[in-house]
Amino acid sequence: MFHLKQVRAKALSAALAAALLTSCAAPPAEDEVTLSFFQFKPEAVKEFAGLIDEFEAANPGIRVLQNNVPDPDTAIRTLLVKNKTPDVLTLNGNASFGLLARACVFADLSQEPAARDVLPAVQDILNANGRCSGSEINGLPMANNASGVLYNPELFAKYGVSVPRTWDELIAAAETFKANGVAPFYMTLKDAWTTSPALVNLAAQLQPEGFFDRLTAAGADRNTSPVSFSRDYQEVADKLLQLFHYAQPGAAGVDYATGNKAFADGKSAMYLNGSFAVPAIRAANPDARIASFPYPVTNNPGNVTVVSGVDVVLAMGRDTPHRAEAQKFINFLMSKDVIDKYAKNQSAFAPIRSAAPQQDTALRGLASYFTSGKVDGYMDHRLPPSIPLVNITQQFVLDGDKSRYLNTLDNEWFKVAARMPNRGDQQ
Amino acid sequence: MTHSTKAFYWMAVPALLLFVVLHTIPVVTGMFFSLTDYAGYGKWNFVGLQNYVSLFKDDRVLASYGFTFLFAITATVIVNVLALGIAMLLNARIKFRTAFRGIFFIPNVLAVLIIGYVFNFIFSNSLPLLGQSLGLDWLSTSILANKDLAWLGIVAVSAWQSIAFSVILYLAGLQTIPAELYEAAGLDGASYWRQFSSITFPMIGAFFTINMVLALKGFLQAFDQIVALTNGGPGTSTESVAMVIFRGGFQGGEFGYQMANSVVYLLVIVAVSVIQLRTLQRKEADF
Repeated sequence: MFHLKQVRAKALSAALAAALLTSCAAPPAEDEVTLSFFQFKPEAVKEFAGLIDEFEAANPGIRVLQNNVPDPDTAIRTLLVKNKTPDVLTLNGNASFGLLARACVFADLSQEPAARDVLPAVQDILNANGRCSGSEINGLPMANNASGVLYNPELFAKYGVSVPRTWDELIAAAETFKANGVAPFYMTLKDAWTTSPALVNLAAQLQPEGFFDRLTAAGADRNTSPVSFSRDYQEVADKLLQLFHYAQPGAAGVDYATGNKAFADGKSAMYLNGSFAVPAIRAANPDARIASFPYPVTNNPGNVTVVSGVDVVLAMGRDTPHRAEAQKFINFLMSKDVIDKYAKNQSAFAPIRSAAPQQDTALRGLASYFTSGKVDGYMDHRLPPSIPLVNITQQFVLDGDKSRYLNTLDNEWFKVAARMPNRGDQQ
Repeated sequence: MTHSTKAFYWMAVPALLLFVVLHTIPVVTGMFFSLTDYAGYGKWNFVGLQNYVSLFKDDRVLASYGFTFLFAITATVIVNVLALGIAMLLNARIKFRTAFRGIFFIPNVLAVLIIGYVFNFIFSNSLPLLGQSLGLDWLSTSILANKDLAWLGIVAVSAWQSIAFSVILYLAGLQTIPAELYEAAGLDGASYWRQFSSITFPMIGAFFTINMVLALKGFLQAFDQIVALTNGGPGTSTESVAMVIFRGGFQGGEFGYQMANSVVYLLVIVAVSVIQLRTLQRKEADF
């Protein structure tokens, strides 16, 4: 049986190679259709292989070829350059996806049955990253992550600290732990990106309404722009610095993996990260005690939101010759059963209305905000990827020079706007 | 056409064809895209010299040039001074000479990335422990996390790795010097330093030139060791030009703009190498 399967796989890959060589325009001679499926997550290959088997069993005549490569954001570009857009693809819903969607690479999925079940707040976040034209939906969210403060419930109980609901309570909690000789947060500044979970949450709740839309509309002229980082990000920068003042000694040389291990072993009370860190923390220590709460950024608990990004976006090549089959596969992947199973196995949030409630204790503190639509997008997904935001932010939390930090962000933003006048947000 | 020149053509033309197809054509294509706003995919517009104008106004690009030259010059000097010293020691009549030569060549065989990650661990974990026990403040945290010192860590690792190759070239040079010269100098009562400055150094002038040019050119293109050690950090303080080109061009969706940067950088490296060759060759001894 195993042997047979191997032969089949070999034959399939040979067929694929042949298809690629003769350019993929020609449909196969038989009535069997092969969908090329670009799947970007290395840790989910097995998960998707199981789903594909299920789909193929229910839909004879359709074969799905999963293709997983390292560095997917670069790989998808090389496929696009060669006009080999996959029939169906998954990508991370980041700024890079937004740029591709804006370049009209993906099909419009707004008429798919699955689109009606998606949580509107999540779809809005994805659409804001970029789309081909105003009414299209170029990607459907299959799984979401959420950024929040992870905490150790044992340490909270031991020192009588309750879950903070305002900024002042958060700082008071940090002071309590500090006074008792417990690290309030475990910071991992060697990996620049680990400064961004705190930043995006502060920015989401503190930046003025429509900040990035107005900034984009201002074009390349910094002097006439109604908004700027220097003007509107003062409080964000202050509070970010305040949080990072609680870094443990030597934090500048500590990386993410070490941080996960330290938090898993109870070396700090809180960890400024997100749902995506939960599997890694559990891998470092299966007995880790993890719970979560959303960032209380202001002193009004009503303002609290959870910053959520689309971890897995489903998209379809705009000119795929197998449109009907691709639609069938996408609607299968977007079905309640598949999404619930995927969310459970990958510690993700299910972005559809009919999803089962979040079961994971580590994520329960964020779940109600997510399902009730109190979500904001990642601010860094609105920045062109050519701006090294996380590196600039890492520099700032290390040297504390606020005016230089905000000035650098403005400077980078308007430099890119001047270089790419025809590539701005054309929505 | 004689028979032998025909054979030369048979050998040279396929190589030339391969070079043109795999190297020259891509370079020229890249140069063309430096005049567009191409993102690496999708539609593009012709923007003339706009990218080049923006380049000279981009402080991040200018900072990367500053870092790269500081790093490359420092590393080149360190590598050549130490390599020449080690080569002379390895050329002397010492016990286990061949074994030592083999050992000193090992760093050159190892992959830069692997060396980088090993040193990353040493800088981040071992050295801070040493610094703490000696009470040295600047060494008790990782120097790679210090924006003023991180570049020295990169210099140290790069030098450690490339000294091996320079040593080999210097050793080859030292062996071309006839022993009679030293005998005569010894009879005349020349000191050891006098022998070095008047015989050894002038006689290996050509090797010094090639080592300087190769080392500087190599360090100007620094990329992998930085990825393994600091990844351009902390902040953007150790971003080399090659790294800015890769990040902006392949990850940042500004292919056209960074192609302009590449073209400028190509010209800079060619200019530096030509100047270096000219000035150093003039100082070589003729014999």
